[in-house]
Amino acid sequence: MDRRTFLKTIGVGLAGAAGGTLLTPHPSKAQVVFDGMEFSGILVDTTRCIGCRRCEKACAEVNNLPVPNISETANEAVFKKMRKTTDIQYTVTNLYETEKGNFFVPWRCMHCNQPGCRSACLVYAMQKRTTGHVTWDTNCMGCRLCMLSCPFDIPKFEYQEAIPRIQKCNLCFGRFNKGKVPGCVEACPTEALMFGTRRKLLEEGKRRIAQNPGKYVHHIYGEYEVGGTSHLYLSAVPFQQIGLRTDLGAVAYPVYSLVYLTAIPFIATLTPLFMLGIARAVRMRKEREEKEEKGKEEKEKHK
Amino acid sequence: MIKKSIILPAVICLLILVIIAMNTVYSVPTYAPPKEVIWTKPESKIGIAHTEIFGMLERPQVIFDHKKHAEALVKEGKKEWETCNACHPVDEGNALIFDFPKKVVKKEKDSVMNAYHDQCISCHKEKVQEGKKSGPVICADCHKEDHKNVKVKYPVAEFDFAHHDKHVKNKKLKEDCSLCHHTYDAEEPDETLRLVYEQGTEESCYYCHDTEKKRGPELAPIVRVTAKKGLTIRKASHLQCLNCHVEFAKKAKKDEKAGPVECSKCHTGEYKTISELAKVPQPDRNQPEKTLIDIENARMKGVGFNHSSHEKYNRTCRGCHHETLKACKECHGITGTPEGNMVNVADAYHNVVSEHSCSGCHGIKKSEKECAGCHHNIAPVDIETMNPKKETCARCHTGKKERIPILPLSVAGLDPEKVKKEVTVKILENEFEPSKFPHLDIIKKLVKISNDSKLATYFHTKMQTICDGCHHRSKAEAEAKKDTPPFCRNCHPVAYDPEKLNKTKLLSAYHRQCLGCHEMMDLEKGRKCSECHKEKKEPKSITSIKNFELPTRLLEKFGWTPVTN
Repeated sequence: MDRRTFLKTIGVGLAGAAGGTLLTPHPSKAQVVFDGMEFSGILVDTTRCIGCRRCEKACAEVNNLPVPNISETANEAVFKKMRKTTDIQYTVTNLYETEKGNFFVPWRCMHCNQPGCRSACLVYAMQKRTTGHVTWDTNCMGCRLCMLSCPFDIPKFEYQEAIPRIQKCNLCFGRFNKGKVPGCVEACPTEALMFGTRRKLLEEGKRRIAQNPGKYVHHIYGEYEVGGTSHLYLSAVPFQQIGLRTDLGAVAYPVYSLVYLTAIPFIATLTPLFMLGIARAVRMRKEREEKEEKGKEEKEKHK
Repeated sequence: MIKKSIILPAVICLLILVIIAMNTVYSVPTYAPPKEVIWTKPESKIGIAHTEIFGMLERPQVIFDHKKHAEALVKEGKKEWETCNACHPVDEGNALIFDFPKKVVKKEKDSVMNAYHDQCISCHKEKVQEGKKSGPVICADCHKEDHKNVKVKYPVAEFDFAHHDKHVKNKKLKEDCSLCHHTYDAEEPDETLRLVYEQGTEESCYYCHDTEKKRGPELAPIVRVTAKKGLTIRKASHLQCLNCHVEFAKKAKKDEKAGPVECSKCHTGEYKTISELAKVPQPDRNQPEKTLIDIENARMKGVGFNHSSHEKYNRTCRGCHHETLKACKECHGITGTPEGNMVNVADAYHNVVSEHSCSGCHGIKKSEKECAGCHHNIAPVDIETMNPKKETCARCHTGKKERIPILPLSVAGLDPEKVKKEVTVKILENEFEPSKFPHLDIIKKLVKISNDSKLATYFHTKMQTICDGCHHRSKAEAEAKKDTPPFCRNCHPVAYDPEKLNKTKLLSAYHRQCLGCHEMMDLEKGRKCSECHKEKKEPKSITSIKNFELPTRLLEKFGWTPVTN
């Protein structure tokens, strides 16, 4: 290989590599505004939560679910084991014992900026509202892909019902439209839950981190996780210690399937054309060769 | 030819991509580091690793039992003080140098390793030849595999004032301070005469021998010399203490006792508390009992300072006198000087984050259990605080040497009409019976805590100060004129306002004020719901507090338009 071809190959190789990295999906920026409307959300300060479970009771009352018993004796028994949200409990509070003491952590739908459940839904039953709420609609066909796609394991299926629905927290979309804050936020006696625009909540979270040196971990969970969520957490201990997943990365879940899904139409339409083209080229060459052979044979015959 | 020029770049491109992919996959660390076992009470065992020279060790560290070796030598018929020089070198003046091994040619991997191996193994071999019980000569007998993850953490030997007092009162030492104390005269031309003793200048060893700290222009040349000679605080104190103990043991008659030589006798891991040390007489260094801190040309009046009562709240003099035992103003002038690390005198006294300043140390006191209940909410006042109350400054800046006599606080003078005995709170009346808040009892308790503490008694001059603990931003003068009590609801709104997230709602203000204080003061009482809230027989809905709707102006502002379907 001479110098010229060597440089050329290296150049082309590098360009190919650069192109490859450019084409791979990048973390999309966390959104706060969509279509002129501010995303709303909830800021959870886990250092303030006292584990009274009033949010759970309020949630049940607001959404017509079985109302839990939140007396002290009942709470003690409940906090002994870790719970997950169910089709009749849209929000649960768990107790985590850490190096810095015990922390209660309320848990509900994270209302991602770009929800995986919404992009997985074939019939658009899951919707991301322009106000930030992730809601479920009745045109669901029951495929449960949303449950598979959720990194937080939030959507729950009513297995016992004759006509089952997907159940999850919808950030009290109905109450919001009547100009009310979510039930859990209203019931919280220590303002461990705060409702507001996502932008304001992030500002408030950062203010608290700055004004209380040493109290909080210097990160708001949900600011960048899975491309940003509307349900945000402040914590005094690293987030994995209070049961929040830290392995999710900052890439929104729909982005992972974006390249694949965009490619499908092109591949579906272009592959047959490409194959036909090759077939045609091969056939033409064969014909040409046959012609030439025939010509040769004829020439020989003439001789 | 055309085909070749396409295939080659394609293959290289693919290779680079594969390398990038493999790099991202394999660069994730997959192994978990083994768990370290820390020995906090190693007794007389020493871990020999020298990671500063060896870096990663090829073989596990050696854990050396010092006591076992000394005892073995004692068994041979030597006295305890005679055993040291068997392993440790001796200098020209016949004083022991507590180094091991005796001679290291160069501070470098091979020579350090050889020095250890030579000295240990040759001695062990000698003993074998003499027919005595001996130590190992094979690698793995010293470099034990199960010591690989052990970390020996020696408890420090603290020379507190109780030890100092013991040495001062010892008649055999004849009150000769120069036995331990000295200073270094760097300007003396004869090097052997540089260590001098001058009465009245005795200071802590740390000032010169703590080579890790950065010192000011006065001490820096001396610290440079100690660092160069390797006389760290660790080495210096072994040289000074142990040599003296050995000397005394040599001369001691039969029934006399000398100081300890064994490791674990000094490195006990048990330290005296400050309250225990308060009973110990303080060293006499001509410090004044009471003094007036008055800075020339300062704007503020002088501060009367009781030195002897402050001595009891510190473990060492270094708690405040961080570099020398001089008065603060000798280094910290009105404007910063290099001697005082450019810290001016106002900052030296008022810095809230320093441990050596008045405000800083008082701040640490305020974070203790009794005080933190109120003080965790109150921002510390320093010279940068905007418009501090005049009486706040005048509390210390009296201009008199003697402190102003203060009467303890008392609840007797309170007007029972204005200061209610009990306050009922009805904010959660939908679900619970009204909560009863024992207002007067809490005031009484706080007054008692304040009167019990010397510091609090001095600074809490009026009953109003106690009230401010909870009624944190009330304007007392204005309220006295208007005759309206300082209700929480005067400032804390019931309605929710997502624009002012840092403004605490009333419901939250009650809970966080009560619970926060009980938590900071570590009180067992009042941490459960039922202690304040008695459940109603027929509770109403949890989400039906009045005025709990988002203001319409906000809905418009954020573009939140209701969707009807």
